[in-house]
Amino acid sequence: MDRLSDVLTAISHPTRRAIIGNLANGPARFLDVAKPFDTSLNAVTKHLKLLERAGLIARKKQGREVFISFRGEPLREAAVWMHEYERFWNDRLDRFERYFQDKKITTKQNRKKI
Amino acid sequence: MNKPKKTIEVKVERTIPAPVAEVFDGWLNPKIPGNPWNMADKLLLNPHVDGFFYWTVHGIPHYGRFTEVKRPARIRHTWMSPNTSGLESKVTVTFKKKGRDTRMTLVHSGLPDTDGGRSHAKGWNYFLDIFPGQFAAAPGRKK
Repeated sequence: MDRLSDVLTAISHPTRRAIIGNLANGPARFLDVAKPFDTSLNAVTKHLKLLERAGLIARKKQGREVFISFRGEPLREAAVWMHEYERFWNDRLDRFERYFQDKKITTKQNRKKI
Repeated sequence: MNKPKKTIEVKVERTIPAPVAEVFDGWLNPKIPGNPWNMADKLLLNPHVDGFFYWTVHGIPHYGRFTEVKRPARIRHTWMSPNTSGLESKVTVTFKKKGRDTRMTLVHSGLPDTDGGRSHAKGWNYFLDIFPGQFAAAPGRKK
């Protein structure tokens, strides 16, 4: 999957959104991240892996402990993508490109007939 | 009227399988699907420097003024609609030869960076509420 898809997947689950919300207040250790949730540590680990894959969190070792922190840049990228004019122009240019692709195919087919 | 202080820029690129001049002309031809004029319910189009365009789609007006029409390399015009919140945004379309094809780049700048303008996606405002600071330092945004 591309990064945008990873981000959209990551933010699609309420637990992962809650994790991000908590980490936005500052870095935390794994057990502190898991504490508010009534779910297994294994499940939290899986959520964190998806967030990490999307680039939304980073792990940093400090002494013996590992701190997990929130990274906002991928969310900003997703927000920009979601801008209505981004979608508008992407849709327009997709159609424009398709017109010329179809035209090229039709021209080739007509040449073969001749 | 309170205008948004921050603006955002949208950039979209495509490689079109046709020569540059043909793509350039296609972009200004309302009969060709994909350009903005093609979707108009009502259209007035004068693609020359200081020429105006006006079009409506589903009753929503869009209008602007051409500031550069340099065949076959570049088209620039302003763009106003209810979504630009009173701002005169700018659209620049460039066409560059790429082998037998044309690399087309469209930059729409000066768009209002408002929550409403940024996204219609359900639930997205949740993040905008929580992380406004994360978006403030976005590259390509003018203050």
